[in-house]
Amino acid sequence: MPAPRDEIGTVKTSLGTILAIGLAGLQLVAVLLVVFTSYVTSERALIGHARDLLSDVGTNTIEHSKGFLQPAHGAAELAANLAQNDVVASDNPPLLEQLFFQQLQLSPQFSGIFYGGRDGEFVYVMRSEEPGPYRTKFVAPDGDPQPTRLIWRDEGFSVVAEKTDPDDPFDPRTRPWYMRASAEKGTIWTDPYIFYSSKQPGITLASPVFGSDGEIQGVMGVDIEISDISEFLSRLRVGSTGKALIIHRNGDVIAHPDQRFIRTPEADGTMRFAKIWELDDPIARTAFSPLYRQGALDTPRELSSQFTYDGGTYVSVVKPIISEQLPWTIAVYAPEDDFTAAIKKNRYNNIWIAITVAAITGVIGLLMANYIYRPVRAFAVRSALISQGELDPSEPAPKTFKELERANATLMQQIAARKQTEFEYGQSFDRATRPIAHLAPETGAFLRANPKFCDLTGYSAEELSQMRLADLTGDGAADPFAHLETGSDEDYAISREARWRRKGSRRIWVKVNAFIVRDESGQALYVVAMVDDVTESIAKERQIQQLSRDLSHLARGHMMGQMASGLAHELNQPLAAIAQNADAARLAADRAGATDEELRTILSEIEEQSLRAGDIIRALRSFVKKDTAERTVINLPELVEQARRLVLPEATEAGVEIVIDVAGQTDVWGNRTQIAQVIVNLLRNAVEALTQSGATDRQVVVAVGRDGDSVKVSVTDNGPGITPGLTLFSEFETTKPDGMGLGLSICRSIVEANGGRLWFDETHRPGARFCFNLPARGAGTTTKGTEAA
Amino acid sequence: MSETETVVFVVDDDQDIRVSLSRALRMRGYTVEAYDSAQAFLEAYDESRIGCLVLDYGLPGMSGLELQAHINRAGFPLPIIFITGHGGVPESVQAMKGGAVDFLEKPFRQSVLAERIETACRMAVEMTAAAGRRRDIDSRFDRLTAREREIVDFMVGHPGEVTSKEIGRTLDISPRTVDHHRARILEKLELRSVVELIDLAKGLPRGA
Repeated sequence: MPAPRDEIGTVKTSLGTILAIGLAGLQLVAVLLVVFTSYVTSERALIGHARDLLSDVGTNTIEHSKGFLQPAHGAAELAANLAQNDVVASDNPPLLEQLFFQQLQLSPQFSGIFYGGRDGEFVYVMRSEEPGPYRTKFVAPDGDPQPTRLIWRDEGFSVVAEKTDPDDPFDPRTRPWYMRASAEKGTIWTDPYIFYSSKQPGITLASPVFGSDGEIQGVMGVDIEISDISEFLSRLRVGSTGKALIIHRNGDVIAHPDQRFIRTPEADGTMRFAKIWELDDPIARTAFSPLYRQGALDTPRELSSQFTYDGGTYVSVVKPIISEQLPWTIAVYAPEDDFTAAIKKNRYNNIWIAITVAAITGVIGLLMANYIYRPVRAFAVRSALISQGELDPSEPAPKTFKELERANATLMQQIAARKQTEFEYGQSFDRATRPIAHLAPETGAFLRANPKFCDLTGYSAEELSQMRLADLTGDGAADPFAHLETGSDEDYAISREARWRRKGSRRIWVKVNAFIVRDESGQALYVVAMVDDVTESIAKERQIQQLSRDLSHLARGHMMGQMASGLAHELNQPLAAIAQNADAARLAADRAGATDEELRTILSEIEEQSLRAGDIIRALRSFVKKDTAERTVINLPELVEQARRLVLPEATEAGVEIVIDVAGQTDVWGNRTQIAQVIVNLLRNAVEALTQSGATDRQVVVAVGRDGDSVKVSVTDNGPGITPGLTLFSEFETTKPDGMGLGLSICRSIVEANGGRLWFDETHRPGARFCFNLPARGAGTTTKGTEAA
Repeated sequence: MSETETVVFVVDDDQDIRVSLSRALRMRGYTVEAYDSAQAFLEAYDESRIGCLVLDYGLPGMSGLELQAHINRAGFPLPIIFITGHGGVPESVQAMKGGAVDFLEKPFRQSVLAERIETACRMAVEMTAAAGRRRDIDSRFDRLTAREREIVDFMVGHPGEVTSKEIGRTLDISPRTVDHHRARILEKLELRSVVELIDLAKGLPRGA
């Protein structure tokens, strides 16, 4: 089965997640967004509203102040005109007093009306308390010794009390209003100040009175108490705790809801206005004294600002100055909370409500998502089960959406088609006569194995599914097909021999043919490995190779032994003769009566040295003589076949055919390697003999057959035969140009050592036939206790 | 040196060995006859001659061991001293099993060979004498009748049951007859007692 790939290639996110986010998450965000924006905008609106409110307060105050001061202007000018036109003679103080009295009664905001003449005369009618409601002050002109008189009157102008003050030093011409009005020759407003007599804040309006000569005769003035404005301010509602105040251009606070704040005593006992930075209203001080210092209060435009004091936030509005005559600035402030406290309180409620609503709708959204997603999930599970073959597609599908049902129908068709293909492939896979397995290309894990493969490895298909190829090879190689990945098309297939470990740890040789199956994009799906068990042929091959190695080893050993043995014999003979002759010579010398002792010694030495030479040869022989012949049961035809394989190259080159003819039960008892050497030697001899012959039909027949208690092997060639008179089997005699004449001699000693006989069959003509026999296995004869070297 | 006329037979296919060995032995006073093969020796050998055989182990044709077996079969009074150029324990074991006096590897010390020849010649003299005695006993036994020989066989085969009664019951004859036979047997064999008879009979082949 191919490895499952991403089923939905591009859409990685689960539908369930999308639904949950869409239905629950988004509306939570939306609710919170609405709450937040409504909070922000409402707060902004409220603050704007508050500013408007404050601005209105300011405008209101301005209008009130203007309305309050306007009559004074009119009254002062009227009085000045009257005086000027001699309607009221300025030099007639009682008449002036009368006029002023009437004016005061008419205009309640006036606290006093007065006239100062150029000669120093002064008439002043003002409101009073005790002993009468009005008081008149007369100051006589220059040269008039009459002292300053004070007259109190009631509402009906009747004198209530009179008083003179001879020490009064008052001179109107020294007063600021007189000086300014006469200098400007027009109506002037004084800056507000604290009135001398009433100690009330006020403002004086002064207008010059011109004589007929055009000269200034005096100055007419009106005192207006502006504490009324402060009272007006104290009555104003600015928010719940806000305040409005009026600040003069010079920084004096001339009106404040609390009048006590605006007066501050001077060192000489007089009073003056408190400056804005001195004001005993810390909030106003905080709000406006920086603005004053920046010059921002003297502004042609309305100014809104925000400030904090003692942790609270305040809004403030500064109105432009009323006029040049009244360079007053209306400044209003109020705590923001006065307007937004309710909103703020409401905000927390709103947020909690929003969170609760979001949570509830979120849960509902999740439930809905689940409700929508459930059939989809069931469909997905069902599809997976069907594709794994754990569920029959014919099983009724669960109730689901129409779209899914259509998709399901298509899927079922696909699955059915795929199953059919898989079934067909599976049939050929399972019934294949060769062992086949599918492996994962990266890990070498077994994905699938057919019964033949299971037979080969000894593992069941289930066991194999838990294994990797490395478990069979035992070499721990993780990725046996790695090189298949990188190569070109030709390299997709491999063919090689490997050694595997079967279950139960028996080793087998296998020939693996593998190729990679890829999808359209070239992605490796799996590796198909077809395997053949070649253990037997490899084992045979190895057996023959081993035999060949053994043979050459044995041949060397035998050659040495045979040479040593042969040399020993050849040398021992003359040595023996020497020893005997030395002995004989010594006896001869005795008999001749020789008295030469040295001659005896020499002869003895000759004997001794020949004996010593014999000892050396014996030592050499015992050194090379090794008895390693281990005897086993030998399957002679098999051994002959292996020997034939070894000789085959030479035989083929010489054009010689080697035929093996086996009859009967032919197991023998002997040393396998030694016997093999005999067979190989005889075969080689035969092949070499044929090489020298001119015959075209060159053949060697090896016959193996039972002969009584032994098995007889004959090697027959159709070559030229053996030269008559040649001594076979003796050492150092050979017909070969490069031979040592040891071959047949060795063969004979080997065969005899193995309890058999080797001979040349002279009766066979033409060609040559060499035979040997060996005790048959189970022939009843035990091996002899002795054996030749 | 023995005064008896003994012959040392030398059989070796090597001409040089034959010559030098014969010469050395003659110098020591032996009568030496040398042959180049077993066949040549057997053709020339006369049983009546007393001596020993110095035999090469590795002869072509009939080998030394084969000649030894032949001599043993024929019962020649001929002790054998093997000499060999091959040497080797297995060969020597076989030779010694066959009754060889010694097995000497070439080259050997001539004095050792001389000692072995002395021993062998003494053995040869004894063997000849024993052969003579056996011939004498054989001739005496030849005088016995069939019945008498039967009784002798029984007595020798059953040394514990030698009363006449037992012999008579076994051979189904009367004890008196047995007594009679026994007297005749001792007389013919020139013996004094049955004990002597059993000792003598042991030197003969059974059932001869």
